[in-house]
Amino acid sequence: MLISGHWRVCEDGGVRPVVSGRVLAADGSWREVHFLVDTGADRTVFSAEVLVDLGLAASGSPVQLSGVGGQAASVPVDTSIRLQREDGTAVAFHGGFDAFTDQDALDMSVLGRNILNLFAAIVDRPRDVVCLIGQRHQYVIQTL
Amino acid sequence: MIRQIFAKPSEGGSTPRREVVMVEEQLSPEELAAFHAQGERFERNSDWLDAHASEVYAQHRGKYICVAACELFVADTPLEAIALARAAHPEDDGRLLRYIPKEKRICIYAH
Repeated sequence: MLISGHWRVCEDGGVRPVVSGRVLAADGSWREVHFLVDTGADRTVFSAEVLVDLGLAASGSPVQLSGVGGQAASVPVDTSIRLQREDGTAVAFHGGFDAFTDQDALDMSVLGRNILNLFAAIVDRPRDVVCLIGQRHQYVIQTL
Repeated sequence: MIRQIFAKPSEGGSTPRREVVMVEEQLSPEELAAFHAQGERFERNSDWLDAHASEVYAQHRGKYICVAACELFVADTPLEAIALARAAHPEDDGRLLRYIPKEKRICIYAH
């Protein structure tokens, strides 16, 4: 399985590795979202504006998530995330995710290790590669 | 970095196990076509924002922006931005919604 991402210019001029995905909203439609590939994140978390767009209700009590900048409140939400595979088909991730409620907590939704651990994640700026690989795909490190 | 903080059992907390299940979906040809079309619309809007990033970010700090059909909509709340985009381009399900922080800052994720 190969899921391709790309390097994207963000609002601060930084170029970051992202994967485009679709998230199931409360009305049954799918919303497109850019996810930062964040191997340092324990969990996949939606930014506050994405939570508003999804219209999802919290599925439990608020949870504190911590980062370099301190702690911020989030709410658990149950939904699905779809990513596109190299052959055009879709793979979905169903379950519990989190969403920040404070807009200043997170600029961009992040794809954390509760999904990334299912893959080998390649984030290669010099070669302009961002991808998640698994199953029949694999990578090789070579000395040239 | 994002790390979940668990409350101690003595404080009434518990350790939630929130599993994520991966499923390889079998979409019908129609569903797959819609899936790809939505993705293409989103990427077009994303490319438009990339091409206009410096001016959009400089002019609309502290605002929510929504890009639909490669047109920019700006508002004070995400729902307002979405409503503007929907009214102008109801056909575009690949809209891109973003908040532009008031101040440019160096990001060490998560927050």
